[in-house]
Amino acid sequence: MRLITDDGVAASFGLAADETLAQRVGLGASPPTLRLYTYRSHCALVGRFQNVENEIHMDYCRAHGVDVNRRPTGGGAIIMGAEQLGVALTLPGREGTSYCHARELMEHFSGGLLRGLKRLGVAARFRRKNDIEVQGCKLVGLGIFRASSGGLLFHASVLVDLDVPLMLHVIKTPFEKITDKEIESAAARTSTVRREVGREISMDDVRAIVADGYAQAFNAELSAAEFSVAERREAQVLERSKYRSDAWVFRRTEVADASGTAKVKTPAGLLDVRVTLAGRMLKAVYIGGDFFTAENAVAELEERLRWHPRHSERVAATVEDCYRRQPDLGGIPMHALCAALHKAIRRAKNAETRARSDPYACFVNPEAAIA
Amino acid sequence: MTIEFDIPDDRYYDATHHMWAQPQEGTDRVRVGIDALGLQSLGDLAYISLRAVGDAVQRGEAIGTLEAAKMTGDLTAPVSGVLAARNEAALRDPMLVNDDPYGAGWMVAIQPRDWETESGKLVSGDRLPDWVAGEIERYRSQGWVE
Repeated sequence: MRLITDDGVAASFGLAADETLAQRVGLGASPPTLRLYTYRSHCALVGRFQNVENEIHMDYCRAHGVDVNRRPTGGGAIIMGAEQLGVALTLPGREGTSYCHARELMEHFSGGLLRGLKRLGVAARFRRKNDIEVQGCKLVGLGIFRASSGGLLFHASVLVDLDVPLMLHVIKTPFEKITDKEIESAAARTSTVRREVGREISMDDVRAIVADGYAQAFNAELSAAEFSVAERREAQVLERSKYRSDAWVFRRTEVADASGTAKVKTPAGLLDVRVTLAGRMLKAVYIGGDFFTAENAVAELEERLRWHPRHSERVAATVEDCYRRQPDLGGIPMHALCAALHKAIRRAKNAETRARSDPYACFVNPEAAIA
Repeated sequence: MTIEFDIPDDRYYDATHHMWAQPQEGTDRVRVGIDALGLQSLGDLAYISLRAVGDAVQRGEAIGTLEAAKMTGDLTAPVSGVLAARNEAALRDPMLVNDDPYGAGWMVAIQPRDWETESGKLVSGDRLPDWVAGEIERYRSQGWVE
């Protein structure tokens, strides 16, 4: 397998190169490739179908030179820069793996990352759907894109380090304002390689360990290489035609976003639930308040409810399952939580209906949620 | 629990991409959607995008993209022709496809260029039971379904 490493990559070229390799590897025009790279600090990358204005503080990005672009892979908005390792694994997928479950593909392709993290002494594990976590805190975000050629692109963003206040300034969150409490809350839901290993490990060291992890997981020898002339040329064409065009970066999905909140008093304290819907899916859930429960247990519950059908019975079933697995959630009464989620979802649905009935209204974002 | 898959025998299937095509009586169009096995591999759909009406499409080419959980992938044309209609309701509410993949969850209508030749490359009729059994066995052997 070929290994390409590069640093300080522009968002538009980095994404164009990944898509080019996925398309070419499916056609047999490029070999299977592992690309380990960093972006030029900083850029914000939204998921394939997100609406930029719903996810990103564009005024902040413009004022601070934060580049904004759209990934070919799905999922939520992230920030990338010199302290986040981008992983792009491109493999032909037409035979055998092209139609297996996304979860199995994610787990399979995450194998190299998990091995590398284990070598660093980080007890990371694959979390349901699409993250690698350590003790309930997100450490790596994952995504997969299947090109029409059958080529598969596995994307991962490894948080070697993370500027949480910057992230909260760039990415819209359910928080109404950015205070120390919100920064602490966001920091408690994520972790970084440096925090886990307890030392200032360099990006190059992390990259080398991840590369070794993939070599072992895929039982393959990695040979350092550069893009071929044809690959670079194709990537540059795609960069110009797609990843530098506003039509791609600012495209809108027809599925409306809508947000709702619910504050419920419980014997354990105030429960503050905020949800964002994308059509009939729960796109994001935030559970806060002044109850006493382990943040990582709450973060895991939030993660389980992300990209989850909004239907009340299915939400309740997932919540019940989380309570069975996570005794640490006991600080929040389950029935109160289900009721708060139900209320917040209903309010979001009402907001969506109102937005639909007013053809000139903008769909709400998480900050515009009604209390 | 054993999962049953509904693969109706009134249409044609692209064996690689799990897309179906069905001629629409009294028209020169075929409707296209994703089959139950394809959906099983993807789960609940969050978003769909589709190419514009009037676009020329080639069999095997992308006619759109979908996102389920975090996996995004191209939707592939089972036949060549001109994209004649898109299901706007499914674009606004992608879970319609999960609810009713062969009815209200259709994706596009294509005016085929050479239905006679290209439909022969799709699975239908007598070949359907063996293909479905083989695919279910493949899914089981991989541990994707019970």
